[in-house]
Amino acid sequence: MARDLAIDLGTANTLVYMKGKGIVLNEPSVIALNRQTGEVLATGREAWQMIGRTPGYIVAVRPLRGGAITDFEITERMIRLLLQRVGVSRFTRPKVVICVPSAITEVERRAVTDAARRAGAADAQLIEQPMAAAIGADLPIDEPIGNMVIDIGGGTSETAVISVGGIVALEAVRVGSFDIDASIQAYVRREHGIAIGERTAEEVKVAIGSASVTEDESQAEVRGRDLMTGLPKTVVLTPEEIRFAIDDVISSIIASVVRCLAKAPPELAQDFLVRGMYLVGGGGLLRGLAQRIEKETQVPVRMSNMPLEAVVMGAGHCIEHYDALKGMFMGARR
Amino acid sequence: MIVGVIIGVAVLLVIVVGLLLSRGGPRHEPGVVSFRKHIDALSPEARRQVMDRVRPEPRDESDEHGS
Repeated sequence: MARDLAIDLGTANTLVYMKGKGIVLNEPSVIALNRQTGEVLATGREAWQMIGRTPGYIVAVRPLRGGAITDFEITERMIRLLLQRVGVSRFTRPKVVICVPSAITEVERRAVTDAARRAGAADAQLIEQPMAAAIGADLPIDEPIGNMVIDIGGGTSETAVISVGGIVALEAVRVGSFDIDASIQAYVRREHGIAIGERTAEEVKVAIGSASVTEDESQAEVRGRDLMTGLPKTVVLTPEEIRFAIDDVISSIIASVVRCLAKAPPELAQDFLVRGMYLVGGGGLLRGLAQRIEKETQVPVRMSNMPLEAVVMGAGHCIEHYDALKGMFMGARR
Repeated sequence: MIVGVIIGVAVLLVIVVGLLLSRGGPRHEPGVVSFRKHIDALSPEARRQVMDRVRPEPRDESDEHGS
């Protein structure tokens, strides 16, 4: 008998929670394929290391972009391989709860559930990421209190107000931490005339990226390819430059938080002022982001204890209490 | 005689169909019960098990100082 699973199928990382056990897999959502034969060569961390460094016949891709499935067939193969890695076979068919962005289309929704069923799941249910994040962040969502959660992922940023076990207001934008990386890449190309890869851009973001001025700021040396000469070149980037480069993305995320606050019933607004908003997801780790949101919304912002795992923990809780919580799954509330 | 058998069979059929219908249909819990179950399953006490399973264990102080 297979143990039931919860999967956070993120644009950046995929996490799997096994019922009764905890998190059993946490890897980048990347798959490396042989372009000629279509064979899978690597998945997860191994495939991630290949991004931008492969010979012509190998392609390392992220099958999800902007929270959307860009390639259904590759996504299905990735889900199948993930399930195989955690012990699912044709003889052991677990129930699976998968976290997906709330803005997912009906076609994408069906594609994910079909892929999980074809990969060996006996039943596949979907849950919105912000709902799972609120459960995983340990917020008192069972009470008639306004709980606000901001989930900034790789491809989407979702803000939700939750009270009495359900979503009261929701706002999502297809902008996330990968867009921050892309903005850094574009800035370095435009202002310094060098091309850098997405992994280098991510390293720059982690090293000196910030959404507002912070203490102990330092500069970073970046190596790339000179667009004029084609030769390797090093440039020095400052935190001010990075803040300028990523400002549009940050503003777009904050605008969606403001829209969600405006959608919430006035009775809950006072709860936000007292209890604050909770930041989860890898994008929430950007330095100065909590302070910037707090400054622009005048609402306190707090960081979740386990921002990277909150979503899968919430889905894991749903799989542990499957019958009692099946009303939360997408499609069950219609 | 034959009429009696037919009536008996018909009555029996009605009873069997009635029994099947009463047991076979989806049984809905009253809204209050299922809502209470839903809310109870989201309580901090119900979530404690998952949180404890995932939360990193606190480091042993003695290990830090070297035993």
